[in-house]
Amino acid sequence: MYGKGLRPLSIATVVMWAITLSLVFFYAPIEADQGFLQKIFYLHVPLAIIALCGYVIGGIFAILHLRKDDPRWDAYSYVSIHISVIFTVGGLLTGAIWAKGSWGHWWVWNEPTLVSFLIVFLLYATYYPFRYAIEDRQRQARYASVFAITAGAFVPLNFLAVRASASLVHPRVFATAEGGLPTSMLVTFLCALVSMGLLWATLVKFELSAKSAQGQLKRLRRALDAPVGPPSSRIAPEVQ
Amino acid sequence: MFHLLLAADPSVPNDIGGKYVAGAYVVFIVLLLVYVAIMAMKLARIEKGLGEVAEIAEARRGEGATPAEAAQATAPTPSTTHTVTPGPAASSATAQETRP
Repeated sequence: MYGKGLRPLSIATVVMWAITLSLVFFYAPIEADQGFLQKIFYLHVPLAIIALCGYVIGGIFAILHLRKDDPRWDAYSYVSIHISVIFTVGGLLTGAIWAKGSWGHWWVWNEPTLVSFLIVFLLYATYYPFRYAIEDRQRQARYASVFAITAGAFVPLNFLAVRASASLVHPRVFATAEGGLPTSMLVTFLCALVSMGLLWATLVKFELSAKSAQGQLKRLRRALDAPVGPPSSRIAPEVQ
Repeated sequence: MFHLLLAADPSVPNDIGGKYVAGAYVVFIVLLLVYVAIMAMKLARIEKGLGEVAEIAEARRGEGATPAEAAQATAPTPSTTHTVTPGPAASSATAQETRP
């Protein structure tokens, strides 16, 4: 059930990534100030945007879980956050590499954009021990949903607060008076954003399918009175 | 902005910038590969578990059947099926649960 549509989604992701990488390296012009180094922009920014969107989507799934009391939505919420955390790690690492090349430092502590992104990451890093601390599955799912909604609401607020603050070194490219991208760069960036979104969706579906298979195997073992074996994870919700 | 593009003298030389770009893309690919490797291990575990369950189901079917049926049940099958028929002791509720 969770694997439905995974194949076309995977193919679309691969095709879009091939197009995006071709555009990044053969179509998008070399930026005047940063030169070739600016190519990291097409990886770092989509990673960060999709990760933040993923957290918000995780919060929306958590609302659906609390409203409908269906464990499926908890699984969706958990997996969305899980994949977004991985994307956040990617965003932090690629950002640090770009910062080293551009500013000469891996990290700048007085830059609000960087620090706020780190705060979001650390906030969601507590999601796992938070789930792990609760034994009862139903309570665990409910509390995790409340966490996902609260943290999911914090993400756009945090983003707006950072936009309103004064930036020291981190560039503001979009929706600023002096900013804006030429069409060739914008097209490439939008392709990269779509590719990253497709990758996120594919990984979410892939993870859900694997969890579903694991859950069904457990049910099968129970039905046959076979030894269930060691629990694979106490944190992840059981997907039927 | 357009006139700034394709300038020949960027603040970060392209040969140095290239190393950082390669580093960033490699980090991204490595991250993806690590994820795929972890998922592959999980899927291998599920596959192993399915094999065990299939063996138990076949053995149970063999126990409850006539000697001829038992021989047929224990004989190697061309492919592993994931459809499980509960043994005679299984309740109708169990049968319902195991149905895909």
